[in-house]
Amino acid sequence: MKLTRLTVNQIRQFRQPLTISDLTDGINLFVGPNESGKSTLVRAIRAAFFERYTSNSAEDLRPWGDSSAAPEIELEFEWQQQKWKLNKRFLNKKRCDLQINQQHLSGAEAEDKLAELLGFEFSSRGGSKPEHWGIPGLLWVEQGSIQDIQKSVEHAGQHLKTALSNTLGEVTSTAGDALIEQVENERAILLTKTGKPTGQYQKILLDCEQYQIQLKDLDEKIQRYRSDVDRLGQLQRQRQEHDSQKPWLEYCQKAEEAKNALATVQDMQAKQQSDLQLLQNCQNNLNLCLEQLRDFRQGEEKLAQRAQDKTKAAKALEDCKELSAQITQRLQQAQADYQKAKDALSRARLIDRRQNLQREHDQLNAQLNAQLDNLQKAQQLQNELQALRAKLQAQTLDEKLLAKLKQLHNELTEIQIRQQSLATRLEYDLEAGKSITISGQEPIQGKGERLLLEATDLFIPGIGKLRLLPGGTDIRELARKQERLRLDYTNLLQTLKVQNLEQAENRLAENKHLAQQITHLQAQLQMLAPKGVDELNVSVQLIKQRVASLQTELEKFPAEGGEQSDFANADLKTCEAHLEAKDAELKTAERAHQQHQSDLLVLQNAYEAANLEWQKQNNELQSPERQARERDALDRLSNLNAEEAELHKRIDERKQQIEAANPEALQKEIERLSKSADALEKEALQREGEITRLKIHLESIGAEGAEEKRASIQQELERLQRHRDEMQNRAAALDLLLNLLKQKRQELTRQLQAPLQKHLNHYLKLLFPGATLTVDENLRPQILTREQEHGDVISLSYGAREQIGLLSRLAYADLLREASRPTLIILDDALVHCDGERLEQMKRILFDAVERHQILLFSCHPERWRGLGVVGRGVV
Amino acid sequence: MARFLHTADWQIGRHSLLSSGRMSTGRFTEDEAALLAEARFTAIERIAAVGMAEKVDAVLVAGDLFDAQTVSDKTIRRAFQAMASYIGLWLVIPGNHDAALSESVWTRAQRLGAIPQNVQLLLQPEPVLFADKGFAVLPAPLTQRQTYHDLTQWFESDSAQTPPHLLRIGLAHGSVEGQLPESADSSNPISAERAHTAKLDYLALGDWHGTKQINSRTWYSGTPEQDRFKDNGAGNVLIVDIEKPGAEPQVSVHSIGQHQWVKREYTLAVDADLDHLRTELGQIADKSVIALTIRGQVSLHNHQQLMQILGDAEARHRSFQCDFSQLRLQPTADDIAALHADGYVGEVIEELRQRQEQADGETAHEALAILADLLRQQNAEASA
Repeated sequence: MKLTRLTVNQIRQFRQPLTISDLTDGINLFVGPNESGKSTLVRAIRAAFFERYTSNSAEDLRPWGDSSAAPEIELEFEWQQQKWKLNKRFLNKKRCDLQINQQHLSGAEAEDKLAELLGFEFSSRGGSKPEHWGIPGLLWVEQGSIQDIQKSVEHAGQHLKTALSNTLGEVTSTAGDALIEQVENERAILLTKTGKPTGQYQKILLDCEQYQIQLKDLDEKIQRYRSDVDRLGQLQRQRQEHDSQKPWLEYCQKAEEAKNALATVQDMQAKQQSDLQLLQNCQNNLNLCLEQLRDFRQGEEKLAQRAQDKTKAAKALEDCKELSAQITQRLQQAQADYQKAKDALSRARLIDRRQNLQREHDQLNAQLNAQLDNLQKAQQLQNELQALRAKLQAQTLDEKLLAKLKQLHNELTEIQIRQQSLATRLEYDLEAGKSITISGQEPIQGKGERLLLEATDLFIPGIGKLRLLPGGTDIRELARKQERLRLDYTNLLQTLKVQNLEQAENRLAENKHLAQQITHLQAQLQMLAPKGVDELNVSVQLIKQRVASLQTELEKFPAEGGEQSDFANADLKTCEAHLEAKDAELKTAERAHQQHQSDLLVLQNAYEAANLEWQKQNNELQSPERQARERDALDRLSNLNAEEAELHKRIDERKQQIEAANPEALQKEIERLSKSADALEKEALQREGEITRLKIHLESIGAEGAEEKRASIQQELERLQRHRDEMQNRAAALDLLLNLLKQKRQELTRQLQAPLQKHLNHYLKLLFPGATLTVDENLRPQILTREQEHGDVISLSYGAREQIGLLSRLAYADLLREASRPTLIILDDALVHCDGERLEQMKRILFDAVERHQILLFSCHPERWRGLGVVGRGVV
Repeated sequence: MARFLHTADWQIGRHSLLSSGRMSTGRFTEDEAALLAEARFTAIERIAAVGMAEKVDAVLVAGDLFDAQTVSDKTIRRAFQAMASYIGLWLVIPGNHDAALSESVWTRAQRLGAIPQNVQLLLQPEPVLFADKGFAVLPAPLTQRQTYHDLTQWFESDSAQTPPHLLRIGLAHGSVEGQLPESADSSNPISAERAHTAKLDYLALGDWHGTKQINSRTWYSGTPEQDRFKDNGAGNVLIVDIEKPGAEPQVSVHSIGQHQWVKREYTLAVDADLDHLRTELGQIADKSVIALTIRGQVSLHNHQQLMQILGDAEARHRSFQCDFSQLRLQPTADDIAALHADGYVGEVIEELRQRQEQADGETAHEALAILADLLRQQNAEASA
């Protein structure tokens, strides 16, 4: 289809006719700013086809304010070598004419012809809406709707399929889709969409279940009923048996027998008890009797024992007596020996005493002589000592006074020295033979000097007297002091009875020597007579006396070697030891003797006692009364023995009888039999109760008619199950049918999709190399797969959807062209959201498409559409 | 000369099961079940009527008068009331279904006071003498549900001695040994020679639902109203005439059943088979209970015909069941053209046709039938 010429008149801003001719086969690009009339042209074309010329919905075509306008559109196009010319006027001059070559159509007929050719519908009421637009709705894209491909395809669907099925031949079914719907409806009666039973089918399934449950309940009930009936029959048979056989009677009878037997045994047991008591008594008596006899026998045994004891004692006494002489002799011998030893010791002692005295005497004598010597020396020393002491006493000197004297002497000396230094020195040198006299003094001669301390008168023979007066007070002072000291000194000398200091000092030294001499002598004296000479003298006197007394004593002892003995030469110690030994021997002998005496006494006593005991026992045994009693006891013993044997025999026999009768077993047997009888009675009672209960129960249950009910339910269930099976079968059949129909239809759809897919891929590889785009059964683009990406077309970005929208439309156009359907593509301001790169790709796609289709492209962005190989033209 | 009506196995209280195959079609309704149950009571009335008409000396009911011990009181009453029109002697023994247990349908009937005077229950194995009527009855009542010994054994004992001038009539319920198909119960055995060995003039038996002669003196009367497909020869009572003791009984079969139970199988292959089917079905008595199994294959066109034939038959009968599980539809080119099954629908038909031979062939068969129906409807609408 090729649009060749377009004229609009009295439409919106085109109040005057506007003709666009020389349209080309390929792209016709109309450019111009907004409101330059591009959209008005598009609207006019759409109105020419979609709106009934009679429709009032073309009101929007009226130029503003022109109420008398008659909007007119005239279109010329070529289709399959035919020229088509459409002239349509709306509103005030409603008219439609269509010229196809020589054929002329007008009015609705003309409109319908166009609708059939292009594949769209008219609105029955009101303006044309997208759902009416069909194939043009897909190929003529209004501003800003290019991306919205889904709806457009849907609206074009039937036209597309009709168009396409022609190319596929007779695969489609005339009745197919209606059939599917019918099958679906039929299926819906039985099954839900997900295949679950519904409606009557569901109800019948539930009913079946319900009935099965009821059936099961009834079966259980019937089973219980039957077993109850069986139980009742069993019980009734038992009762009959019981009533006819009376088994309890046997038990009662046996129990009675057992009771009698038990009574007999119990009697025997009582007798046995009393016999046992008798036996006990008899045995007690027997024991007493035996004890008595035992006593008698013991008395005899005792007598024999005592006789034996007596003989033994006599023998012991005799033996002892035999020893007496020997022991006495041994004692006498010991006494003699002892005496001898004692005498020897006395002698030895005398000798020893004298020897000792002699020794002492000699010693003392020697001592006496030594002491006498000492005494003499001591007396001599004492005399010397007395003399020295007397001397010392005579010239004793006080050392303190001496010290003072010394001091005075020193002071005097000092004063003298000072006097000499201070004194008037008188040196002289006198011619031989001449002298002078100094006052009061002898004459002086020769040479010398004198110190003059006081007024001195010098007398020079021949001349007269010279008086010399020493100068200064000191001299005088010194002289006075010297005078005082001299006085003291002189006094002290007198006190000390010496003439001068030297003499005093000498005397002191002499005293010291004397004292030493005294000390020495005293020490010597001390050695000789430590306690003094007098004491020594006394001691000498004492020793003298002692010696004298010893002499006297010695004279009393007999002379040595006077008496001879065994021990004459034995010393004292030997004698003592000997005596001691003899003493011990004597003591032993004495003890032996003494012991013997005592033994004798004891044995004598023992014998006498034994004899007495024997005598006593013998007397007792010999008494006639006792002998009578023994005989009596023996008799009794024999009687008791007989009685015991008798009792034993009786008891043993009876014991065997009792054991044979077994009273415990009898007791148990009685119990068992009584209980068995009771149990039977009880059982019968219980049975009666159960029979009554069961009867009542069964009567009431039986009336319910369970088995009949069951049969009826079983029948109903079977009916339902058959019905259910029918439905099940029908449901399965419908399922199968529906699936097959759908499956076959889908296969067909796939066949339809294939060519579209081919064209889509053709364009897609120019936009997204390697991508695939699937279409659904309504031929709508569905899933775009790019590399790893996989997504629904609707979820793509606006730009991408726009691009997919355009290339899909081009693919449909290709498809329609192949089906020999007219394809005119009108794009009003398409791809405004494309980026530069994509736009270039889309341009390539468009350029590819124009080889097959005429495209009217309206845009207000001429610069975007450079490179399409066409020159844009303005509308006006 | 004595005349008896011999019947047994009334099975009152039974609700028949009509199913004969897995997949059946047919409008089996609750009404049908009720009508069939009702027919069992009607049978009693008919027996009573025959008894009256034939002037029999006694009606012998050889067990299983009731189908179960616990039938409803109403059922018990109705059963005895249905006997009312025969005012003579009814002699009844319990069978395995209504055995005289400690508590049984009989004790209940007695408590209800439902048993008329002229109905005698024979519950003890001892001779009952009817000297005035010239016969003695030796009953072998079942007092257990099942026994494995022959309850008629006592007929030969001393206690079974009867006066020689009286007919000896045995009345028992069980399986005659060696005479019945092996599938029959082996419980409650009865010696086939009992009539002879016990010197019976006639042994009236129950348990087997078809009328069956064991020997000249031993018969099963069968159930008077058939209730299962397998009971062939049912729906009768026997009229027994015996001249005198030792004389051979004269037995005549009286059909009184209302409904025949017919079970047939047809295999369809060629068009003529359909005509044959139509003819045969037409010959079956009305009000029958019918179970058909139809196998083979049929074109869509013939299938429609078949359905029509079956629909006609169904209307005539008490119950009509049909098993198509082994029937296959074989659409012909004509069928497909007639159905206008073009495009993928045609492919679906072919697919279903093939699938009929696979595992779930029945479903495919059904689906194909539905599809054909729907297409026919569509065409009908289109042409209307």
